[in-house]
Amino acid sequence: MESAAVEFSHVSKRFRLGESHDSLRDLLSSGLARLAGRKPKTKSHLWALRDVDFSVPRGEAVGIIGPNGAGKSTALKLLAGILRPDEGQVAIRGRLAALIEVGAGFHGDLTGRENVFLNGAILGMPRADIRSKLDDIVSFAGIERFLDTPVKRYSSGMYARLGFSIAAHVDPEILLVDEVLSVGDAVFRLRCLDRMHTLVRQGTTLVFVTHNLEQMQSTCPRAIVLEQGRTAFAGPAREAVGFYMTAMSRAYADRPTDMQGQPDGQSGNAELVDLSFVRSDGVETAWALGTESIRVRVRFRLRRPMARLVVECNMRASVSDNLLSLNSGRDALTFDMPAGVHTVTLRLDRLPVCSGQYLWNVRMWDADTGTTVLDSPFRFPLVIDDEGRATGILCVDHEWETGDGESVVPTYAAASRDTIAPAPTNADHESMPIL
Amino acid sequence: MRAVTVQLGITELLRYRQLLASLTWRDLRIRYKQSVLGIAWAVLLPLSMMLVFTFVFTRAIDARAVLRIDTPYALYAYIGLVPWTFFSVGLGGCVNSLVANRNLVTKVYFPREVFPLSCIGSSFVDFLVASTVLMGLMIYFHHASHWSFHWNPALLFVPIVLGVQIILMVGLGMLLAMANLFYRDVRQIFGVSIQLTMFVSAVVVPVPNDGSLLAKVIAANPLVPLIGAYRDCILHGRLPDMIGFAYTTGVALVLLVVGWAWFRRASFRFAECI
Repeated sequence: MESAAVEFSHVSKRFRLGESHDSLRDLLSSGLARLAGRKPKTKSHLWALRDVDFSVPRGEAVGIIGPNGAGKSTALKLLAGILRPDEGQVAIRGRLAALIEVGAGFHGDLTGRENVFLNGAILGMPRADIRSKLDDIVSFAGIERFLDTPVKRYSSGMYARLGFSIAAHVDPEILLVDEVLSVGDAVFRLRCLDRMHTLVRQGTTLVFVTHNLEQMQSTCPRAIVLEQGRTAFAGPAREAVGFYMTAMSRAYADRPTDMQGQPDGQSGNAELVDLSFVRSDGVETAWALGTESIRVRVRFRLRRPMARLVVECNMRASVSDNLLSLNSGRDALTFDMPAGVHTVTLRLDRLPVCSGQYLWNVRMWDADTGTTVLDSPFRFPLVIDDEGRATGILCVDHEWETGDGESVVPTYAAASRDTIAPAPTNADHESMPIL
Repeated sequence: MRAVTVQLGITELLRYRQLLASLTWRDLRIRYKQSVLGIAWAVLLPLSMMLVFTFVFTRAIDARAVLRIDTPYALYAYIGLVPWTFFSVGLGGCVNSLVANRNLVTKVYFPREVFPLSCIGSSFVDFLVASTVLMGLMIYFHHASHWSFHWNPALLFVPIVLGVQIILMVGLGMLLAMANLFYRDVRQIFGVSIQLTMFVSAVVVPVPNDGSLLAKVIAANPLVPLIGAYRDCILHGRLPDMIGFAYTTGVALVLLVVGWAWFRRASFRFAECI
């Protein structure tokens, strides 16, 4: 533990709700009230972080994920020294640079070049370093032509690129990054991630706060899930993402008006109770490997008996077209069901798609009349992990052959979960540093 | 424990001295950007005020006899206005320094002292520029009036006077910057009181010295011996009144210690209270 670069021991931080004294008049009136023996109005507090405890060893990269308001940014500001904890201790061992907002401290009237020097100094870079890295910074940001233009005339993309570029060249021992890669175009985002990988390889300790689970997983081997100011999970990044997604989809299901009120369909004969994903071991999940079998379990309530019910499950990558649409009618199967709650499960042997989040819905109709009885929104997320085998949309079985037709590596065909990604052993868990 | 804290504060500040230089430079750059005359304003501001007061007190109303000033009034006024402009513009910057840099206060960590210090730094550069014109004025009046300049050892005391002024400004600047962060009223109060202070600090008119109650109150103003010290050393070639100057130095040191310690204690709440 003594080598930990970042240590967060039992840290709590609270914020006062409502306004504090904003003018002297308030101070005077509350001061007078106190003199008169009356208690000033009690203030309510919000615990942004409660007893959060973790440490990051030197040279490790750790992601912090969690829903909005979970305390991620507060944790980062505590690490950066901008805030001080109300309880517990934060220890930082090493030169630290925090990228909490790209281009914080830029001044619109100054040119790109002037802002590089100013921002570099703000991030703690010696002037000589900035001078020697100026060319790298500028070419990384791709703003060579605009170096001597005031940044107020920059596009927001250029502004953000220059901001990240400076921070990426600080070469700190500890780098804190907060959700800054949501700016810029896709190419620049990839270069930023690449740069972060390089820094980590060179021994920089990284704490990365993000909503982008893929970016986080590709950079950080370990992650912490914060929920309502508490550590909900700490461990390998992939498991953290799984935990987070499961928790998120459960949170969705806890909102009945959201889930069950709307998707009544045209006739209102059916009502969706739940759509969940179940692994082969029977455990409900929100993420799965593309190579493992997964069940889509639909629970619904019929208000009237249906003689020939067709159930359809659809999957999308985003708001785009369906990637997958399976209905029982095409499989010459209809369900004859009385009124009441029923469960229909669709079993898929594997989902040959690339890593990402996929959204599911369910539709039902009467095969005789064609009347839709249920049409849910695409609100059920399932995260698929292809273990880095492919990019694009599909991740299909494949192998490579050489000229004589000999197969060289059976890359994907016979893959099972155990042979490809051995689950972490207990010994691994014990040495897990962020626990 | 406290001593350790202060020491850490100083070493931390030293580590960030380049940032201090950069922010000082930024203040100057922004102040004179898109301005035709640029840094010349550092001279023009006290110079034009000197001309205004010279006109008022030597032409518009005949106050010269009342003032009993034995040096050319323009010189008297200018040598008061240069350190005064340093004082008022520098502190005016300090008052706003934290609030105007809200983005940096909430998003980046470095010692928050840098904000008021950089304001003092940029007005110090203005002060140096304006001082060069003082030399020009002295050469002019040396030849054009009964007043004459003599090299004398009291000139060596000027850097000490300047040092005391900076110490006074650092202490006050930190208190003002911090106070304005918590209570925005401070800025308004500062704007009014700095106007009044100018007329009770012997900047352009001597303070009353008739033993009245007002005179006694004004005597408590540490700026009176300070600005008097500049005049004594430079115009009169004599050391300032040491009792008055020691008083000013004492006030400056107390304000520095109190202001800095308080600022450091409060600085971790800046980001959430701003």
